Amino acid sequence: MGKSFFGKCLLLVLAALLVVGTLSGVAVAEEKVIKIGTLFPLTGSVALAGQRCRAAVETAAEVINNAHPELKVPLAEKAGLLDGYKIVLIHADHQGKPDVAKSEAERLFDQEKVWTIIGCYNSACTKPASFVAELKQKVFMCGCSSSGALTERDFKYFFRMAPTDKTESLEFVEFIEYVNEKKNAGVKTVGLIYENTEFGKHAAEEGRMAAEAGGFKVVADVAFNPGATNLNSEVQTLKAANPDAVFGACLGGDYTLWVRTMKQMDWLPKVALNYCTGYQDPIITGQLGDDANYFMGGTGYAPEFAELMPAVAAVEEIYKAKTDPSVPFDSDSIQEAVALFIVAQAIEKSGSLDPTVVAETLYANEWESPLSMGGKVAFSPGGQNVKAMSMLTQLQGGEYKRIYPLDLADTEPVIPMVPWKDR
Amino acid sequence: MVTAMTLTGKRTKRDLFWLGLLALFAVIPLTPWFTRSTFAQHVMIQVLLYASMAQAWNILGGYCGQVSFGHSVFFGIGAYGTAMAVVKFGLIPWPGILAGAVIAAVVAVAISYPCFKLKGHYFAIATFAIVEIFNRLFMVWYWVGGALGLDYGFTQPGWKNFVWYQTKDCCFYGVLLLFILVFGIVRWIEKHRFGFYLRAVREGQDTAESLGVDSTRVKLSAMALSAFLAALCGAFFAQYNYRVDPPMVMSLDMSMKFVLITILGGLGTFYGPLLGAALLIPLQEYTRAYLGGIGGGVDLIIFGLLIIIVVVYQPKGIMGILDRVYVRFKRSREGGK
Repeated sequence: MGKSFFGKCLLLVLAALLVVGTLSGVAVAEEKVIKIGTLFPLTGSVALAGQRCRAAVETAAEVINNAHPELKVPLAEKAGLLDGYKIVLIHADHQGKPDVAKSEAERLFDQEKVWTIIGCYNSACTKPASFVAELKQKVFMCGCSSSGALTERDFKYFFRMAPTDKTESLEFVEFIEYVNEKKNAGVKTVGLIYENTEFGKHAAEEGRMAAEAGGFKVVADVAFNPGATNLNSEVQTLKAANPDAVFGACLGGDYTLWVRTMKQMDWLPKVALNYCTGYQDPIITGQLGDDANYFMGGTGYAPEFAELMPAVAAVEEIYKAKTDPSVPFDSDSIQEAVALFIVAQAIEKSGSLDPTVVAETLYANEWESPLSMGGKVAFSPGGQNVKAMSMLTQLQGGEYKRIYPLDLADTEPVIPMVPWKDR
Repeated sequence: MVTAMTLTGKRTKRDLFWLGLLALFAVIPLTPWFTRSTFAQHVMIQVLLYASMAQAWNILGGYCGQVSFGHSVFFGIGAYGTAMAVVKFGLIPWPGILAGAVIAAVVAVAISYPCFKLKGHYFAIATFAIVEIFNRLFMVWYWVGGALGLDYGFTQPGWKNFVWYQTKDCCFYGVLLLFILVFGIVRWIEKHRFGFYLRAVREGQDTAESLGVDSTRVKLSAMALSAFLAALCGAFFAQYNYRVDPPMVMSLDMSMKFVLITILGGLGTFYGPLLGAALLIPLQEYTRAYLGGIGGGVDLIIFGLLIIIVVVYQPKGIMGILDRVYVRFKRSREGGK
């Protein structure tokens, strides 16, 4: 009796597993839909950013699926693609873990039968997920992951919308040279502070190379673990080296902690320039209040850019309704919306759902993109958007003021940054 | 219970029965006419991998009673061993797998020798610290990739490179071999004198020593073997994911999985790690797959609640629940007669 009872118990477990396995393999009824997977960190330390990226893709899907003649973006006038195809989004959460990103990408392609994946925010997760896509010869659309290594792999099906850390680093150095020349800023040394991840490490390497190529001495190189609860020793190291300029790659809450720790230690460099980080997050800016002011960074989009990107405002209203709390697009989330608009245009233009044909079409054309700064998207071999632009902004009075390049600037930069005691 | 029944020699047929079921359990997902779902196969691979990891930990934590939270270090060394061979030196993974496992065993002995002077909670706390130390070390050790980790490029798929791209069948057989190896070793240990030494140390170190058991040697041997097997699991993990970086493998999160699966299934029992993994991993994978997209961590909430329910209801894990249900069932049948 004992044997049979335990055998039954185990068989019960087996049966439960197999039922779930079978159910997971059930095919969805054939419909005229194009399934598109989104893969973002919906939980974990950067969950808020991931949820906004998801909302941005949902916004683009809503514009494409329904007729929105009032919007001045491609594919808004008619409903759907290819004579009636609708986009159906399948969302997945990689939790900020590369191994989960890889297995979820496999599931989305094999199980959910998605046509493409948009993601993954974290560069470390984009890498294995896009590797899966390349193996399966499926298109992978990357919005905002900024690690330069992603587009140095000669992949044929990988496309990235955002500028890389290299682009931003070169712009940082150009800006410093400009303020040295025109404003006698006297910046001679540079410090680096970054999270010790794929993104942070790459950003720091590019920052170092650009700074040294520009003749600046890198006097501090400070890495920290993301999600840190204390950055005292890191800021102390910076303070001891006292660089004139700091390049920062601190995401989310780490950015807040970094700024507050600098205030606590009563130290600021003359110039603090940030990659696509917490600096760009309007919620974090609000939380920091006056402390957020005078920091600078590369910015792909901010509501203050309305006159440069007039088509965004109306789309942004749809996006705001999908975010809780309601927020405008930020530099990262808007790139994910761009990713869907671009691939949808490529599908429409090629008239095909063959990934190879669509990938070739993506490479062969320059795309209209009113949601991108500069308004155009085009890809070089490896999948980098060569039209990607980033503008330098400075937070003044809680607003992102355009300070560089000069032809797009609307405000003079405040250099050096106003010391804590004078605010 | 296991010991008593083993000693009486009444387990042989039952063992065959269980092993037959285990074989069935392992082979079913590959049955082409049943499912070709790669996700179902992925879940089964994960179940067997995590069951093997938990069983490796069970040697030290379950049978020997030394609760270690540092096993992700050995797992990570195994992962880095194979990844270094492939990515850094352009070799096939096999020498890296072996080297990683041996290095993990050596590191385990070197670390645990001083740590074993601590007992109970203090030993567990020390192992916590070791994970953090190794995580930070590998984060800044650029020779092994630092924070960027090591990414696999495209290689020729097959057993030689132990990597497959278009199918999971061979991955499944690979992890099945690992599973059989780890469970086979533990089964052998259970019946071997070494297994009795382990349990003697767990039940009372002083008493065991008074009976002539060299407890330090037993614990170090258990640690070395446990780390060696955990490293083999780590090597498979790296090959399966085509990537390794410190947070992926050397983290408290990963260490907790070793411990949690074993405790959930049944600490110090042969089938506990398998049952724990068979419950926890599908739960984790399917809740994430079907609820993760909702956002807000609904999958993690459900996942956490179920663990709490099982642990509160029966601290001896699933094996404890099965035992309790069996006893009640037996009593009711006897009462009926």
